[in-house]
Amino acid sequence: MIQISDLTFSWPGQSNPTLQIKDLQIKTGERLFLHGPSGSGKSTLLSLLAGIQCAQQGNIKILNEDLSALNDAKRDKFRADHIGTIFQNFNLLPYLSPIDNVVLGCNFSKRRQANLKTEGATATSQATRLLDELGLDKNTQHRAVNELSIGQQQRVAAARAFIGRPEFIIADEPTSALDADNRDIFIRQLFEQAQQYQATILFVSHDASLAPLFDRKVSLADINGASL
Amino acid sequence: MTLINLAFKSIINRKASVLLTLFTIAISVMLLLSIERVRQEAKQSFSNTISGTDLIVGARTGDIQLLLSSVFRIGHANNGLSWQSYEYIKAQKGVAWTIPISLGDSHKGFSVLGSDDNYFRHYRYGSKQTLQFEHGRPYHNAQEVVIGSEVAKQLHYYLGQEIVVAHGMGNTSFHHHDDNPLVIVGILEPTGTPVDKTLHVPLKAIELMHGPKHSTQHIAGRKDSSEDHDHDHDHDHDHDHDHDHDHQSQNLENLNSQPGDLIGQPKQITAFLMGFESPFYTLQIRRNINIYKPEALSAIMPGVTLRELWGMLDIIEKILLLFSGVVVLISLLGMLTTLLSSLNQRRRELAILRSVGARPRHIFALMTSEAVLITALGCMLGVALFYSLIIIGKGVLQAQFGISITISMLSSYELLLLGVIMVSGTFIGAIPAIRAYFYSLNDGMSIKV
Repeated sequence: MIQISDLTFSWPGQSNPTLQIKDLQIKTGERLFLHGPSGSGKSTLLSLLAGIQCAQQGNIKILNEDLSALNDAKRDKFRADHIGTIFQNFNLLPYLSPIDNVVLGCNFSKRRQANLKTEGATATSQATRLLDELGLDKNTQHRAVNELSIGQQQRVAAARAFIGRPEFIIADEPTSALDADNRDIFIRQLFEQAQQYQATILFVSHDASLAPLFDRKVSLADINGASL
Repeated sequence: MTLINLAFKSIINRKASVLLTLFTIAISVMLLLSIERVRQEAKQSFSNTISGTDLIVGARTGDIQLLLSSVFRIGHANNGLSWQSYEYIKAQKGVAWTIPISLGDSHKGFSVLGSDDNYFRHYRYGSKQTLQFEHGRPYHNAQEVVIGSEVAKQLHYYLGQEIVVAHGMGNTSFHHHDDNPLVIVGILEPTGTPVDKTLHVPLKAIELMHGPKHSTQHIAGRKDSSEDHDHDHDHDHDHDHDHDHDHQSQNLENLNSQPGDLIGQPKQITAFLMGFESPFYTLQIRRNINIYKPEALSAIMPGVTLRELWGMLDIIEKILLLFSGVVVLISLLGMLTTLLSSLNQRRRELAILRSVGARPRHIFALMTSEAVLITALGCMLGVALFYSLIIIGKGVLQAQFGISITISMLSSYELLLLGVIMVSGTFIGAIPAIRAYFYSLNDGMSIKV
């Protein structure tokens, strides 16, 4: 599913590389927990996986597509079609309702729209179903986003990542604002959705206590040659 | 959800600053359209003032001065021309008609024009339209007056009413021709020209006003109702309404008059209008008049002089348009400032859009469509404000400046101006859009702000 080989990345103006990863592989449907302290290069790795940044050396293959071989526009399209992201701060658009925020994930990808069509669903019906499954009641689905609790916002962010069946879900410290109970509930729901949609999850956090919930744990410090 | 929908919702989210920008654009659009409409209407009513007249002849003076004094009743002719010269020129071969004009008297600030019956037969305005009577008929004798529509409207005059004209121009005159009351026998339909603000009397009436003091000459066959009146008829319009009705019914009998001499024995007239049997005669007779020995005369072609006059006003016209153009530019720069200042706060929003797959070109399109939406809404609101303004200001413009504004659809030129504003708004909107484009390339999905 995801294969990183001989990756080297340096931010412009920096002499030392931020990331040097010899090899990292993630299997289809795997739920990988990537752990590392702040500043260890987690966000940089995520932006490389999302195709926002390009590695200077080595390559990243997702779904057998070498990201470094794609131009900017194609990488953007690839991200829109195949990658869903859940942010630490949810990053919902405050002027859209939860439903509209979720539907937004389909706006820029014809592939996701085609996937919905195959399932006989519309973007709105799929968004409603996802929010239902994640436990957001109908009334809440049409309220203003800033009126929702943190837990509810997090579910909207998750629904937005899953809509249109992207194969790869990046979750960047999505539970850092939740208490332990809600955190566990959210992760369980995330896994249920991932299983249903056969999505691979890369869950990034500095909280190592979450590791037992995942199939595999990787410490960025262990695989990043630049930090050794 | 389309980008336009997203842009619209984003605008609603920032409604306070967007509303301010929108109003600035709307007001500038309103100003631009208003200035343009007033300019067009002023030009239109200006060039419509006289038509079908081949030459205007007066004592030697500047072309524009002769046009202004004889047609627009602006300023005074320095000299008159002798009746003998008028008779001589009138008798020239090819002259189809002439209209003698004698100006210099006024009534409550409105010009009094002495002429003969040719005035109502041959005077043309607009697209060679003749003067039409809303009520009554042309004058038949020296005790009758035909008034323009504005005179009737503003002074509340009616058919059959007797009025007194003053010597000299202006609102206040110290010499009233009290002994020559004139009966209103006709009220003209509005023309949108100085005719509306003119009282038309026969030349003989002018002569009588200025001649030695004498009794009113009553015309045989007309019942004299003026005997029952106080001779200070200047105050007639101040009478109460019921009393006005009494006057009205009583004075309608004044209209039953018989034709009499309209010309008398004038020594001088201010100017005269000429029409020829063929345009071929125009230049020839004009040349003859300009070299006419017994008297120094000027002959002008009104169409040419009107164009010259409008040409002189061209600079004012251009300055007005420049000012309104600057106002539009300032409002668009205001929009640019608003969009640029909000851009930094919106980098988070742009990064979110990038994370859900928006390409930099989507970000560019979103930002540009926001500017287009604001400009379009501003234009629409500006057009609505413009129509409200002309509906409200129509009366004032007509009353104060004699400019009649028609409430019509936007002209192609006005639509072109709106198009220019839309295109400029789009270009100006592209500036923050380009910045947003590069922000989104650099920021990616990481929310740095």
